[in-house]
Amino acid sequence: MSLGFTIVKRLAHMVFVMFGISVLVFLIFFATPGADPAARIAGRNASPQTVALIRKEFGLDKPLPVQYLRMMDRLVIRRDLTSYVNLGEKVVPTIFRAAPVTLSLVFGAAVIWIVFSILVGVLAAAFKDRTLDRLLMILSLIGISIPVFWLGEVVNLVSQGLLHNTWLFSWVPPLGYVPLHRDPALWFKSLVLPWFTLALAFIGIYGRVLRANIVEAMQEDYIRLARAKGLPEAQVLIRHALRCSMIAIFTLFGLDFGALVGGGALLTEVVFGLPGVGYLTYQALTNLDLPMIMATVTYASFFVVSANAMVDILYSVFDPRVRND
Amino acid sequence: MKTPKIASIALAAMSVVGGLSAPAIAQAAVKGHYGGTLRMVASAAAGTLDPQINYTLRFWQILPMFYDGLVGFEKAGGKAAFKIVPDLATSMPKITNSGKTYIFTLRKDIKFSNGQPVTVQAVRHSFVRLFKVLNPNVGTWYDVIAGGRHCVKSPSTCTLPGVAIDPKTNTVTFHLRHPDAEFLDQLAVPFGSILPANTPDKDMGTVYIPGTGAYMVKKYEPSTEMVMVRNPYFRQWSKLAQPKGYPNKIVYRFGLTPNAQVTAVENNQYDWMYNPIPLDRLQQIAAQYKSRLEIHPLLAFWYAPMNTRMKPFNNLDARLAVSYAINRADLVKLFGGPALATPTCQILPPGMAGYKPYCLFTKNPGTKWTAPDMAKAMMYMKKSGMAGQKVTIITQNADPNHAVGIYLQSVLDKLGFNAKVKGISSNLQFTYIQNSNNHVQISVTVWYQDYPAPSDFLKVLFGCTSFHPGSDNSINISAFCNDKIQKQMDAAEILSIKHPKQADKMWTKIDQQITDLAPAAPLFNPKHVDFVSARLHHFVFSGQTYFVPDLAWVH
Repeated sequence: MSLGFTIVKRLAHMVFVMFGISVLVFLIFFATPGADPAARIAGRNASPQTVALIRKEFGLDKPLPVQYLRMMDRLVIRRDLTSYVNLGEKVVPTIFRAAPVTLSLVFGAAVIWIVFSILVGVLAAAFKDRTLDRLLMILSLIGISIPVFWLGEVVNLVSQGLLHNTWLFSWVPPLGYVPLHRDPALWFKSLVLPWFTLALAFIGIYGRVLRANIVEAMQEDYIRLARAKGLPEAQVLIRHALRCSMIAIFTLFGLDFGALVGGGALLTEVVFGLPGVGYLTYQALTNLDLPMIMATVTYASFFVVSANAMVDILYSVFDPRVRND
Repeated sequence: MKTPKIASIALAAMSVVGGLSAPAIAQAAVKGHYGGTLRMVASAAAGTLDPQINYTLRFWQILPMFYDGLVGFEKAGGKAAFKIVPDLATSMPKITNSGKTYIFTLRKDIKFSNGQPVTVQAVRHSFVRLFKVLNPNVGTWYDVIAGGRHCVKSPSTCTLPGVAIDPKTNTVTFHLRHPDAEFLDQLAVPFGSILPANTPDKDMGTVYIPGTGAYMVKKYEPSTEMVMVRNPYFRQWSKLAQPKGYPNKIVYRFGLTPNAQVTAVENNQYDWMYNPIPLDRLQQIAAQYKSRLEIHPLLAFWYAPMNTRMKPFNNLDARLAVSYAINRADLVKLFGGPALATPTCQILPPGMAGYKPYCLFTKNPGTKWTAPDMAKAMMYMKKSGMAGQKVTIITQNADPNHAVGIYLQSVLDKLGFNAKVKGISSNLQFTYIQNSNNHVQISVTVWYQDYPAPSDFLKVLFGCTSFHPGSDNSINISAFCNDKIQKQMDAAEILSIKHPKQADKMWTKIDQQITDLAPAAPLFNPKHVDFVSARLHHFVFSGQTYFVPDLAWVH
């Protein structure tokens, strides 16, 4: 099977998954009692006539498949779909405005978690079964176990509350996002704590995975060869064992990064008041704003599915055996 | 009006501050307070900016800064906030034809923020537009205008003959189908805003429509912020209706959690927060920043509607048993103590026209609730024959609403029902409990006034006309309909036009009659807590719109 065919197959797969997700979200919404969008748009105590007119105006009196197609047409093709809650707010441009916030958050956090997880993984592997290893692994486990929204609230409580007026945290700006082009220094300052908060759990996971991979790699023949050649231990560890162990990490990274850019950083964004895609998803879910839910879910599934596809395609580029599956 | 819940609050003892908190100071000193930027924060925006459509407290609080009606509520604290004063009209209307004709004379030389003059044509267009943009209340309020019924049915062909204008004399005449005591209230709320004659007949959403108010909207992005600046064409014509406003600029930021809002106001990064202070923060805030807290009573009540058309509460004795058994002091504790709530056993809240203290569901019935009467409750329970019946209490999944539900469960179990609590998303619960298809037996909810009229509680919540089977929009949650009481309410509304005092007496009686039939168990009247920054002074609380941003000093 050619590489081109694999790519086409993956893309078709991707479209199918996104279609399935959007249909599912659509149906769940309409199956929820108390969620009637016409009643919500019409407002409290509206007369039945007004509700009926709104239902007609928004096309909510049409059969569900028709409503679905109309909504997807406005979302994907015409891109003029507007919110049911903030009437008149076009959802597609709103998501595009929110994307840089999410990207800033996720990129920064990704740099931090990659750097720190390599540090943790290498140090733990180098000091295998010694105190430092144990300590790092325990810390990683703690990092993985702390829920990100709790950590974020505690970080805020300390940096914005208890110690805000001390030298330690007086530099922390008010919660929120400052665009990079407006004030790079403030952009950085307002994102430092969210970055670390979001990165912590990933440092824990990646650190532990990396350590396990390095420890396994250290048993391999090529490491024995490297040692036999007389290379110093540090070089063996970094140049040989680490390099091979990074492959698993990058697979993981591709998937996590895709999910986070797609809105998976929702809790971090909400806690730190960052108006990114995750925050939009959260708002849409709490307000039962169907168009926004559809848009953010489609956007998220696009990133998750395409990150998956990317990883698969890269695999098949590097490993022809995969293409025959 | 229904607004998001007031958070449960745990304050031990705090005195209630009423009216204005700022000292009266000399006029000269006041002048020094013009200027500066007021920074407000909320967890989210509240939808469309169109004043003829938006029906949320969050934006009704700011819309009066951008728009004026022919009349308006006085921008002031205390009782004055409920007073209707002339705004774009030169004086209060001349009412003739036994209350069916209202004649307003429009002020001259007032301009919209785009420079266009305010004309009688604009007034007429605004009222026709109400119907064309499907205002939530056209079928319940504004269809009283002659031709309004046709407009509700067929907005596209709406001409609204009931609004006549005369450009020569600059007058606008409203012809009503029947006298309506609340017509002026309905003109004074933001729905009655006068917009330019060329405003499109569709919901303008996030686009600002030019208005006559002291401020205009420079930017509105629901996911981030709203920026308000002074309207260059504004000159003050009525300090009561549309004052010049102190801050030069007002920024309303959206997207911080209530917890983060508290911290931000604490750090003076924002001057005022919209959302209620979370329970776990209030004690700390009350201890540390007592002078920066403002507590005011609301025209509102928490209640447990009981479905009068479904077992077991289609039985009057079962409803009475519940009403007698509830210990309202326990509920007040759940809400944060006596500083933040007062027990009630009637529908009308204190301060409302027609309110006369009345409490039947207590030991020693009289004017005040003292303690539950379990003996009487058990007697009614036995009489009802409903013991052992299964009852599901529908609450929101967040406290204090959920906590109130859990408490009610214990009361119902004690009475002999087999009760359970089902908590559903706070955003769904209010529409869910209205729809008769969901077969809700009893629930917990709150009602806040739209405008200070007793009918807004009695007729809206318990009138036959506000029950719509199978609709998410059926505010008569108890599905209560009593022809005799309905007739009295209709009569009281008409009477109040000419003889408001006599009508108030009628409303007092109606309040008692509905209370006696217990379609809902009234629980308590809540109070509102605001937390402000150290630099914010002259905090004005209007019972109508709550915090008045344009009157705050930040300079």
